[in-house]
Amino acid sequence: MSKTLISARGLRKSYGKRNSKFEALRGVTLNIHEGESVAIIGKSGSGKSTLMHLLALLDKPTRGEITLNGHPTARLRAHKLNTIRNKKFGFVFQSFFMNANDTVLNNVILPLKIAGVGYRERHRRAVSALKTVDLDDKRNNKASDLSGGQKQRVCIARAIVNDPKVIFADEPTGNLDSATGEKIINLLFKLNREKGITLIIVTHDQDLANKCERQINIKDGRIVSDTSADAEQDDDGDEEIREIIAESEEDDDEDATPDKFEGDNNIDGMLDQKHPVHHINIDEDEEDL
Amino acid sequence: MKFLDIIRDANANLLRNKLRSFLTILAIFIGSFSIISTSAIQAGVNNFIDQQVDSYGGEGYLAVVSKDSFDALEGLTGAMGNGNSTPIEYKEDKIQDGMTPITNEQLDKIKKIDGIDGDSLVEQKSLNISYVSSKKTDKKYLIGAEALPPGNIKVETTTSGQLDLQGDEYQIQLEKKYVDVLGYTEENIIGEKIQLVVVDQFKHTQKTFNVKVVGVIAPGVISMGYSYVNNKTADDIYTENTKYYPAEYKDHVVAIAVNYDYKNHSAKEIKDKLEDIGLSAMTIDDIIGSIKTFFDVILTVFKIFGFIALLAAAIGIINTLFMSVQERTREIGLDKALGMSSARVFLSFSIEAISLGFWGSVFGITVSMILGNIANNIFHAEGGFLESFPSFNLATYTIKDIIIVTVLIMFISFLAGTLPARRAASKNPIDALRYE
Repeated sequence: MSKTLISARGLRKSYGKRNSKFEALRGVTLNIHEGESVAIIGKSGSGKSTLMHLLALLDKPTRGEITLNGHPTARLRAHKLNTIRNKKFGFVFQSFFMNANDTVLNNVILPLKIAGVGYRERHRRAVSALKTVDLDDKRNNKASDLSGGQKQRVCIARAIVNDPKVIFADEPTGNLDSATGEKIINLLFKLNREKGITLIIVTHDQDLANKCERQINIKDGRIVSDTSADAEQDDDGDEEIREIIAESEEDDDEDATPDKFEGDNNIDGMLDQKHPVHHINIDEDEEDL
Repeated sequence: MKFLDIIRDANANLLRNKLRSFLTILAIFIGSFSIISTSAIQAGVNNFIDQQVDSYGGEGYLAVVSKDSFDALEGLTGAMGNGNSTPIEYKEDKIQDGMTPITNEQLDKIKKIDGIDGDSLVEQKSLNISYVSSKKTDKKYLIGAEALPPGNIKVETTTSGQLDLQGDEYQIQLEKKYVDVLGYTEENIIGEKIQLVVVDQFKHTQKTFNVKVVGVIAPGVISMGYSYVNNKTADDIYTENTKYYPAEYKDHVVAIAVNYDYKNHSAKEIKDKLEDIGLSAMTIDDIIGSIKTFFDVILTVFKIFGFIALLAAAIGIINTLFMSVQERTREIGLDKALGMSSARVFLSFSIEAISLGFWGSVFGITVSMILGNIANNIFHAEGGFLESFPSFNLATYTIKDIIIVTVLIMFISFLAGTLPARRAASKNPIDALRYE
């Protein structure tokens, strides 16, 4: 088993105050290993995006702890967290988030600019990232002139331009048709395979999730299943209730049942499986990105 | 993130909404234009006055009259002007013009005051010259001349030199307007002798003084069209003027001029000492000060208008940047998610505000300088109201003023920008990315 990269213990996250209090996460414990590809699956409002935000250090848990390479992150200063996100993480979002008026190249350069990399160096690295996603001929185009698939590829280039350890992808195919989505996914898995970048994909698309080595199902702020062998369960008092709720609701939770997955942890083997790509839109995912 | 990148991005962001940025800059422009223009005029006026004072010298110069004379002067002008003072009572022992002579006793006391140079004391004699003429013309012209007062006074001459004050030769620094009419040029009149003629008002006797021209005086505020002669000339003309005066009028001294040691004594200290023996004194600054105060009051009012315009512009900056923060919420969210610190977000919006201020003040100053130079040229052209004052630039732009105005406006812009910048910096990346 490879080294643990991100480890979460008893994560809880609640929003709002007393009366209008909403618990997005109710105790999540998991380990993510280097080089893994992990899908976090769940319906809208299940807490999957919240979990990703916490793992990506974009937000702080109300309770619980996240360690990165064994180092607790709770007491890290904002400056440190910014540096980690900037240098170690890459982000791919459902709605791209590009500066539409800027050129493709400048969009890819953004993380390097924030990091304070010099002009020549960042130009060189951005061009090389664009080559990886096969878009270096479009580098001087305006971002708004690209198609959806091209935009998402630019975003992937932006995510890898800093040579990150982890890519967090929040519904990366959500705004794309299935054929284009497939290409994006293949690109992400290629990066996972060839560069050893850990992939954490948040999605409600079971087909996409099935391509990952590991699926973590989230429901009502708890993990209901985790295909990982060393999946660790929450050890707090709500454990029983959690399982009861999980079982009782399992039947009407068609798209999130991990049981269907019978693949092994072999990446190549998994990618060889030619799953027909269904783009299942179970519900309008308004709350999540 | 590199500082240069932040500045470049800030300006690029301003260009994204050109019209909005332009209008905000226009508002700042109005403020900066009024402030720099009033500063320039103030500098121009002060510069001119200082030039006059400098050329005149005059540190340590005191014009002294009796306190009664001073009050009388104020009383007269008061009675005619603002009416705040009471009319002066007629007294038998005073000369009828209301002037009270300085007594011999007072003269002795002045010389003994610590800090006053007794030897420099000169009686201010008003000279009564009937006319001036020269060998080159038959015409006769009225002329005003007086002895050059003591103090380190130098008159700004357009050509050549200073008077030999203690010399035995008759000398004059001639006001420029007499040069032509007497048949000379500014260059060839130096060293020539002109004739000052005194005709006695009682006996109609006539005496001619052959006076050597040592310099030509540039027109200015202080000389007021007067020419200056050395002590010998002044003394002899005065003697001639008073030859037939009744005895009681002959020796009275209304005004004196004296030097004080300005390096070791303040003007106020000396004035107080003179006050104690019943005398009033004025320095050059007191004489000039009233002109300065007049201009300062007017220009301060204009400056206040400029600041009010700038205040309105600051609100414009706040508004523009708030809109910008709103529009760019997602962008800010992305920047922060990708590791930009809150401090950098704050800085980049602050620099946008400062850039608005910078461009506004640069345009304001540039336009003001262009208009100022045009105005200076028009006023100095023939028929312009500054034609006879070539050294007076109405609008004078000093580097100091330009820097002060620019920095001040950039600072005000920064302050205005802190509000929207703080809002931008406090955005949570997740909420910002969710924002539609």
